[in-house]
Amino acid sequence: MNVSIQEQDGNMVAILVGSLDTAAATETEKAMSSLYDVEEKDIILDCTGLEYISSAGLRIFLGILKAAKGKGRHVFIKGINDNVRSIFTITGFSNLFEFI
Amino acid sequence: MKEIFAYIRRKLSVRVSLWVVMFAAVIFIAALGFLFYQAREAVRQEAVSHASQILDKTSLRVDSILNRVEVASNMTKWLVQRHPNHADSMFVYSRSMLENNPDFYNCSIAFEPYYFKDKGRYFSAYTKHNGDSIRTIQGGSDHYQYFFVDWYLMPQLLEKPCWTEPYMDLDVATNTSEMVTSYCQTITDRQGKMIGIINTSLSITWLSQTISSVKPYPNSYSIMIGRGGTYFVHPDTTKITRQTIFTQTLEQPDTALTALGYAMQHGEEGMKRMNIDGVDSYVFYKPLSKTGCSMAIVCPESDIFSGFDRLRHTVMAIVTLGLLLMLFLFIRIITRELKPLQQLAHEAETIASGQFDTQLPNFQRIDEIGQLSHSFGNMQQSLVKYIDELKITTAQKASIESDLRIASDIQMGMLPEKFPTKADSDDVQLYASLTPAKEVGGDLFDFYFRDEKLFFCIGDVSGKGVPASLFMAVTRSTFRTVSAHESMPDRIVTIMNKTIADMNKNNMFVTLFVGVLDLPTGRLHYCNAGHDAPLLVGAGVGELSCDANIPVGFMPSWEYTLQETQIFTGTTILLFTDGLTEAMDANKNQFQMERINNVAAQALAHGEQEPRQLISMMTDAVHQFVGDAEQSDDLTMMAIQYIHQQSDIKMRKSIVLNNDTQEVPRLNAFVEEACQSVGFTQDVTMQITVAVEEAVVNVMKYAYPPGQHGDVTIEAASNDVHLKFTIIDSGKPFDPTVQAEVDTTLSADERNIGGLGIHIIRQNMDSINYERMGSLNVLTLRKKISN
Repeated sequence: MNVSIQEQDGNMVAILVGSLDTAAATETEKAMSSLYDVEEKDIILDCTGLEYISSAGLRIFLGILKAAKGKGRHVFIKGINDNVRSIFTITGFSNLFEFI
Repeated sequence: MKEIFAYIRRKLSVRVSLWVVMFAAVIFIAALGFLFYQAREAVRQEAVSHASQILDKTSLRVDSILNRVEVASNMTKWLVQRHPNHADSMFVYSRSMLENNPDFYNCSIAFEPYYFKDKGRYFSAYTKHNGDSIRTIQGGSDHYQYFFVDWYLMPQLLEKPCWTEPYMDLDVATNTSEMVTSYCQTITDRQGKMIGIINTSLSITWLSQTISSVKPYPNSYSIMIGRGGTYFVHPDTTKITRQTIFTQTLEQPDTALTALGYAMQHGEEGMKRMNIDGVDSYVFYKPLSKTGCSMAIVCPESDIFSGFDRLRHTVMAIVTLGLLLMLFLFIRIITRELKPLQQLAHEAETIASGQFDTQLPNFQRIDEIGQLSHSFGNMQQSLVKYIDELKITTAQKASIESDLRIASDIQMGMLPEKFPTKADSDDVQLYASLTPAKEVGGDLFDFYFRDEKLFFCIGDVSGKGVPASLFMAVTRSTFRTVSAHESMPDRIVTIMNKTIADMNKNNMFVTLFVGVLDLPTGRLHYCNAGHDAPLLVGAGVGELSCDANIPVGFMPSWEYTLQETQIFTGTTILLFTDGLTEAMDANKNQFQMERINNVAAQALAHGEQEPRQLISMMTDAVHQFVGDAEQSDDLTMMAIQYIHQQSDIKMRKSIVLNNDTQEVPRLNAFVEEACQSVGFTQDVTMQITVAVEEAVVNVMKYAYPPGQHGDVTIEAASNDVHLKFTIIDSGKPFDPTVQAEVDTTLSADERNIGGLGIHIIRQNMDSINYERMGSLNVLTLRKKISN
């Protein structure tokens, strides 16, 4: 599971590639911890390369969303595939996030 | 006539008035009768006394007249005897007799033949009143030889003065005759030899006028008879001297008249009441002394009593008129007094016809009619009030009945209606029936499927009707709520017991049997709380052994026991309430377990132990037994047949992992491989992988105490129907399928996220099944293989 974070067009973009299962969750969370401190910027989670996510990963996403919302910023999710989308739908997370 | 009687019976006023008038009439008749009788007597006595007085007076008058005659005659006799030789003096004497006594008729002083030699043979100084004058003549002649007449002979014969019988005296000079009676006495010389007779006469007519002058009554008359009974005085002048008192009795014998005649002849004095000449009369008779005559006054009764009778008739007429008037008036008065009754009767008819609000007439009287009217008014008001109350009560009752019907519908609606058959389910078929004794009842049954388990219960609330049905509803909903959190029957029942006992003020209770049948394995966990033990109809008919726990609801602290058994394919569990065992026929005989066993055995023998068939047979048997008797208790039956066929396992592999989430990639690889071997698509594989990861991670995190190492075994197996993953650990008992109690120690974030895992599993997998087997948690996830 690979995570790279960069700033693009005034937004913080996190590019996730691979399977975000429970095992990978701990490390991924560490890698994305900086997103909790992002100020004045919207966050884009680029999930084009995300093949798999389980509840541990959803938990991380939710944490980022809560932090951003608290600062009045948006979190966008970009390019999720069908499988990941179905997880989002089942858990109702599709209502929480904005998709681009 | 009949009509009159009918009328009288109908009319109170007429009846009462008739009674009053009748009594009044009786009183009047009694009083007046007595009065009239006494009065009549008094009148009679008065009449008798009056007439007697008159008779006496008349008699005295006559006597005095006769006395006068006698005295005058004596005096004249004395005079004559002093100067017997002066013939001319005789005329003077005779004349002076009449001059002094104007009422004498005539007087004769007659001498023996040739007494006065110069006067010739006859010498009678005869004097008679002639109108106003007095005529004195010589009375004797050849034509009238007085020597042989009564008045000359009688005194000689009797040798004493006497009165003659009445006779006709002929006055030659005037050629008139008159009926007279004479007092004659002898004249004697000094030697005592008779020389002549003095004859003084009284006119009978004059006498009778004197007698008759005083009439006691208008129609009364006097009669006088002589010694022989000859009438000398009689109102019918044709009878005078020609008839005697006995004459008419010759033609028609009349004993009364004859007796009267005899009495008078005998000189008796008295009164007779008799019928003379057809007239009822009182006859008063008295003898005229000296003359030998007797006189009588005849007083017709009609005269005597005429006044009295008139009075009597007048009084009777007055009384009769008065009574009639009274009758008429009373009828009118009573009718008027009773008019209110008529009105009341009329109003009563109106009320009876249904118009309760009719205004009753107000008579404003305080007598009995007024009281009746008042009572009537009260009754009417009561009627109106009661009818209103009745209307309300009836409406309420109808409302309650309608509510009960609705309640019955609701209660029946609470019970599951769709029963799975083998067409619907491969694992189990089920059928149940519940017939309450009243509109609503206290029996309950319930079942539902969750996570490849059949949760079911059957129960019986103490009592029947509305109270039991309310308790039944509470019990059922408590069952659903608690069994959502607990999968073990003993836990379910224990918690239900606490919950229900806490809210049980009326000390009701419910016997309960709770079972959880694990469909994949046929493992039955159950707990019996005082309920009838179910029958197992499989190889044979036998009773499922049950612990004796107390019914649910009255001892919150009771710990219920868990039992388990294996149900083999094809076996039907038959559950029922005591409405079946205690179904009663008309003679109060009970159906009893024996019969239930027999029917079940019969069903088994005929291969009809499928739930619907079995229950149908049992129902028929009970109905036949009970017959027409009223259903005494709620009748409930539930039959569950386990038909799960284990199909052959095609593939089986397993993997053992540490309770370390870092093992997850290994897990996921294992799962993907198993999915692909079955032929699932990538999408489905992904779904399954996520689900299994969630389940396993859950176990890894919580099954063992933190820091302790533990194994987690994951087994993958497939048959024609499913691909299943079984996750086994030996950690603390944990059932992820139950709704977790809210853990307040978790932070808000974690709480939100904690439920995601199970949710994903339920969504992505077809079933999730948890069993505690011994010391192992066994969690099975299945996915259907659709071809």
